[in-house]
Amino acid sequence: MIREVKLTGSTWNETPWKFEAGTMNIADTIAFGTAIDYVEKIGFDAIAEHSRELVLETMRLLGEIPGVRIYGPPAEERGGIVAFTLDDVHAHDVATVLDHEGVAVRAGHHCAMPLHTKLGVAATTRASFYVYNLLSDVTALAEGVRKAKHLFRR
Amino acid sequence: MSLDDFYRQTILDHYQNPRNWGTLENPDITANDANPLCGDEIRVDLKIKDDRVEAVRFSGKGCSISRAAASMLSEAVEGKTLDEVKQINRDDVLDMLGIELGPVRLKCALLALKTLKVGVYGVQQHWPGEEDDE
Repeated sequence: MIREVKLTGSTWNETPWKFEAGTMNIADTIAFGTAIDYVEKIGFDAIAEHSRELVLETMRLLGEIPGVRIYGPPAEERGGIVAFTLDDVHAHDVATVLDHEGVAVRAGHHCAMPLHTKLGVAATTRASFYVYNLLSDVTALAEGVRKAKHLFRR
Repeated sequence: MSLDDFYRQTILDHYQNPRNWGTLENPDITANDANPLCGDEIRVDLKIKDDRVEAVRFSGKGCSISRAAASMLSEAVEGKTLDEVKQINRDDVLDMLGIELGPVRLKCALLALKTLKVGVYGVQQHWPGEEDDE
């Protein structure tokens, strides 16, 4: 923001005001505070415990499906994510089937292409959990993966 | 679009039994391309006789849509002149597949055609929509 404007030139305000013209993003700042309150009210331990429960169940159910390979450390050492492959079915095909079953996952390299190259897989399908996920979501995921396996049987 | 409509029988058939799948010895034209987002890789080999496609082979790895599209395309180009092959466009491929595709899967569907064009023109093509970035 400026301090003075003349026909022959201008002078700028001191930082930080120089870079903070107009109305501050007040609404988002307040919303951010509310989001932090929400997470702290649930509690980080509770979030971690809930995620672990869902991840354990996911690894148990997916592990029962022949052809599923899960990547990464044991459940106790993970955050709320599980990346996997299903036989030679492409991750985007798995994701499309899951999408039709109402299960939203991410498919691809997950911004870690060198890792996928090292693992020797074209792409992986990845389920992510948070506080609003339920065990029934895990069941739906496993059923969807079975459906994909059936659809793409060769 | 339901799952059965999307993965309709012809697409699954071409995925499970891709036509003209493999490579040719001493091809007259060969081209490689990849879809870095998916990790799909595809190669096309062409044997040309009297300016016509005598044999075509696709190979590589990819999802059902990219493999089915390559298989369908291979049937379409057999016996065609190079000029006729150059006339094949994205709408032809989408008609062969016969399904509606979002932007991500569209790239799967068109990878084989893009690779084929790289071969017959000997130049790098653009993804749909990329023309605007230049």
